[in-house]
Amino acid sequence: MIKSVVSKEYQNLQKEIVQLQEKWKRMIDPDTIKPNLDKAALAAGVPAAALAAIDFEISLFLQWVEEITALLIESSPNLKPKLADIGSLLNEETAIRWIEEAFSFNSVYFERFAEENGLEPWIPQFLAETALRPYLQLVAEKVQPEIDRGVPGSGCPVCGEPVRLAVLEDEGKKVCQCPRCLAHWNAKRLECSHCGNEDYQKIKFLTIEGDAVSQIQVCEECNGYIKIIDTRQYIEKPSAAMIDLNSIHLDFVAQENGFSSAGEKKITN
Amino acid sequence: MAKEYVKFVDVTKCDGCKACMVACKNWNDLPVEETAFQGSAQSHPKTTADTWNVLQYIEHENAGGGLDYLFRHSSCFHCTDAACEKVCPENAISYTDFGSVVIDQDKCVGCGYCVQNCPFEVISLKEYKDKNGKEYRKAHKCTMCTDRLEEGLQPACVTTCHTGAMEFGDKEAMIRKAEKRVQEIKGRYPNAQVYNPQGVGGTHTVYVLAEKPSVYGLPENPKVPTSAVAWKDYAQPIGKMMLGATTMALVGAFVTNKLFNKEGKEQDGGGSNE
Repeated sequence: MIKSVVSKEYQNLQKEIVQLQEKWKRMIDPDTIKPNLDKAALAAGVPAAALAAIDFEISLFLQWVEEITALLIESSPNLKPKLADIGSLLNEETAIRWIEEAFSFNSVYFERFAEENGLEPWIPQFLAETALRPYLQLVAEKVQPEIDRGVPGSGCPVCGEPVRLAVLEDEGKKVCQCPRCLAHWNAKRLECSHCGNEDYQKIKFLTIEGDAVSQIQVCEECNGYIKIIDTRQYIEKPSAAMIDLNSIHLDFVAQENGFSSAGEKKITN
Repeated sequence: MAKEYVKFVDVTKCDGCKACMVACKNWNDLPVEETAFQGSAQSHPKTTADTWNVLQYIEHENAGGGLDYLFRHSSCFHCTDAACEKVCPENAISYTDFGSVVIDQDKCVGCGYCVQNCPFEVISLKEYKDKNGKEYRKAHKCTMCTDRLEEGLQPACVTTCHTGAMEFGDKEAMIRKAEKRVQEIKGRYPNAQVYNPQGVGGTHTVYVLAEKPSVYGLPENPKVPTSAVAWKDYAQPIGKMMLGATTMALVGAFVTNKLFNKEGKEQDGGGSNE
């Protein structure tokens, strides 16, 4: 693995979380997810997960939150007092709300929940998001054969996460990867995933000296960026979630240079 | 313990583009060398201290009387029993956990024993001048991009190969792939074979050759020279034992001397009292 700015301990924790999510995904009855591949809606940029009918099993979700809490305490025992009471705060009703709000990435709700219950701000959303991902990943697996292109500006065609990562494959084919639901789709080499700009003069690449595999594609039209990693050079290919984590230095560089992971069209009079 | 890897080179897929040579020069920051025309598209007669891989171009008349234009990416084989490692008097050459054989430039004294003993002639000496104008030499060869392996990346030459003639991965998997490939190409190349010579314990660059090794100028059955084995496996350990024996003798002499001196002193002391 490329030397990362992320500590080995945190990388290992994330690897364990990814393994847990894999295990959880296998526990879901695949029939509880019924994708609805409405071509018109997909073409308009509606995420496939929003169109799918998912019958969430609340008891599983609660069990996963417990497991992830236990893993966090195991890896950093000093988190124990901060996480110990989570179980008592979650009932079926709250769990359903967590799933809904995590699905739409409603940070405001989770921040308020944390404040109301005297928790650290990161805790509720982290737990809800981690436990939701197996469902999103299963949706992605089911609809993957139908996903070959993204709609610029609409984020991941499966879960709606803003596009921030692509890898190079085969002869240099650019494939966008979603670190959240693990969906992937093809993209043009010279196209901004945020605004669809294809003007080569307004698409630039930032590279890090000594980093042979990474580049940041930035768009001068919308000030958006995505990280492009040449995974063909790796001996063993890591998961999209780990690539995203270990290339976090590129996010810092891009954001320090005034680019954002969502992209925003400049409004001029 | 890192995983042991093998670079698998299938010469029958190579189209002679030389991108591997460029990638190697680029990654390892090796200077350009001016060479004379070789009579073919081949740029260098063989690997040098500044050109760690050379693409061979061979015009070969096959058994049917037809002409085969053969290519081979030639570089260090990274032998499991490397003669260069055995003969190095300074222990400057060592094995890495990945299976690659590397030269420690700080330890190398430029004696050239490795150059003389490499069965594949892939090591070369480079001459340098220090700030006082004094000339010195260092041995150089392909490192299998060990600095890239440490980062989880494939060697630069493998990464750049556009025909997929080179692959890099788990040792056993690569050898299995090579054996399977030979079966596939036997129809076209009856002499096709896996080149992973056991005389040097197997290598970490494994080839599928279209013809017999000698067609590519490779030894049919390379071996670690007996003198190298004698040197590294017998002479050096015995030498160390001898050193041990010498040390023991010295310690013994020291102790005896002390005792002797003590006696002497006592004698002296006794003398002064008189």
